[in-house]
Amino acid sequence: MSKILPLQDAGPGDNSLTAFDVEKVRADFPILAREVYGKPLVFLDNGASAQKPRAVIDCVREVYESYYANVHRGAHYLSQRSTDAFEEARVTVAKFLNAKTEDEVIFTSNVTEAINLVAATWGRKFLGEGDEVIITEMEHHANIVPWQLLREEKGIVLKIAPIRDNGEFVLEDFKACLNPRTKLVAITECSNVLGSRVPIKEVTRLSHDQGALVLVDGAQGIVHQPVDVQDLDCDFYAFTGHKLYGPSGIGALYGKWDVLNTMPPYQGGGDMIERVTFEKTTFKEPPHRFEAGTPPIVQAIGLGAAVNYVADLGMENISAHEHGILAYANERLKAIEGFKVVGDAPDKAAIISFLVEGLHPFDVATVLDRQGVAVRVGQHCAEPLMDRLGIEGTVRASFGLYNTREDVDALAGAIEKAKELLA
Amino acid sequence: MSTELSNLERYQEFVDSLELIDDEDMRFEYIIDIGKRANDDDFPEVFKVDANLMHGCMSKVWIADRIEDGRHYFSGFSDAIIVKGLVTMMIESFSGLTGDELQDITAEHVRHLNLGALTTQRQVGMMAMLEHFQKLGRRADESQAAE
Repeated sequence: MSKILPLQDAGPGDNSLTAFDVEKVRADFPILAREVYGKPLVFLDNGASAQKPRAVIDCVREVYESYYANVHRGAHYLSQRSTDAFEEARVTVAKFLNAKTEDEVIFTSNVTEAINLVAATWGRKFLGEGDEVIITEMEHHANIVPWQLLREEKGIVLKIAPIRDNGEFVLEDFKACLNPRTKLVAITECSNVLGSRVPIKEVTRLSHDQGALVLVDGAQGIVHQPVDVQDLDCDFYAFTGHKLYGPSGIGALYGKWDVLNTMPPYQGGGDMIERVTFEKTTFKEPPHRFEAGTPPIVQAIGLGAAVNYVADLGMENISAHEHGILAYANERLKAIEGFKVVGDAPDKAAIISFLVEGLHPFDVATVLDRQGVAVRVGQHCAEPLMDRLGIEGTVRASFGLYNTREDVDALAGAIEKAKELLA
Repeated sequence: MSTELSNLERYQEFVDSLELIDDEDMRFEYIIDIGKRANDDDFPEVFKVDANLMHGCMSKVWIADRIEDGRHYFSGFSDAIIVKGLVTMMIESFSGLTGDELQDITAEHVRHLNLGALTTQRQVGMMAMLEHFQKLGRRADESQAAE
């Protein structure tokens, strides 16, 4: 295990008292200046993937132009420089999450891989027939299917914690699912469809009381609010870079080091071994034990730049800004005749799923697209949630740090246009 | 556009209409209008079975195939208006062709049926429809040959 980070260091570029200037922020994102179909781009598909600031684009270009080489291997300058930047990105992510040490941060390609890693290593080793894993009704497929695969293989029991009709996660309902057979709670921090938030700290406390570990799917959570894994006390926390304004193809899995160190390797290959003979192979300690082969070097360094970017803005500031946008959007959109919000939990992030009475969601989204408004439509990789809600899909507007009230107005105008064209 | 295929009069009408409209938004609205005008009674509920359901579509699309004198007559339905417009254009354009003639329809033919008014995803959907027609054409020919 390497050095412990000083606890008093609040993380990269911590200036959470700085005022949030959204116009200045927008100027950092070159793509926001473009038009689609001759209309200004209004990008409200951040829940699927967010746009990238100049800082990330420049960082990625700089790596390729100035010091790209493979990491952890070469006996030459560029390799050392790349390795330093790659490992520095791990430190940046660790500080952002407030992990105790950067050795608790495994680079993965995305949240899907992170959850599969936990299922395939910790799950295979520690779960057996009859052991229970709790998920919720509002999980993304990425936090359902890996556990179903494990159910097929090991005979575990998958329990589904219910949500209310308004998409609210209720702690008491969750508590009723816990019992001494519960070994893992794998839970979203924020629904990608409904925006509903889960009180992770309380969930973790209750789960630990039953002796269960907690894995948090932070894909939608980390982009909207500060995350402190020590405060949450969760055992695993997974997030992806491309939703956090970073490159695609990179994410991270946080795990408590003592837990990670009990887990066998995920994949075998280069970079994760200590010594290989034909008779026996020994493995490195975490996190490298779980990073076989050449990692996504440039993407990881780019993720570091993205984390620095949002940390400089201050996650508290981003959260406050997005809350303002959400409140305005709720007021503005609910005033539209026939507009029906799907998921109206009291505690939710800046995600609005909706339907328009009498119109098919695909038609609405297509007309929105023609107005320059980018949204997502469909089941959002949450088919069981759609079944639970008795709908086939929704249109989803997911807001990010660069969205404005004018974007909400453009969305409202485009919905009116859809009603006019499609009625 | 020129084509060596006969029996593409309806297709040519669509293409001519779209070419007359020089504004992409208007072309888009033209497709919506076709969807809105489509007669749902042409595709009765009994046709909405899994065997007629096209898989992989973001909205539900059913295509039925009636063969008369070796020629294919398609009917179709979608629960989304815009997709219904595209389905209508495709089935009306390419109904009345033989199985062999269907194989000669190309991506270029389909591209002329939207002229930039659609997203790539919708264009892919139209191509999937064409491939479905062609598959139905081949299947009918094969079963006829087997008899």
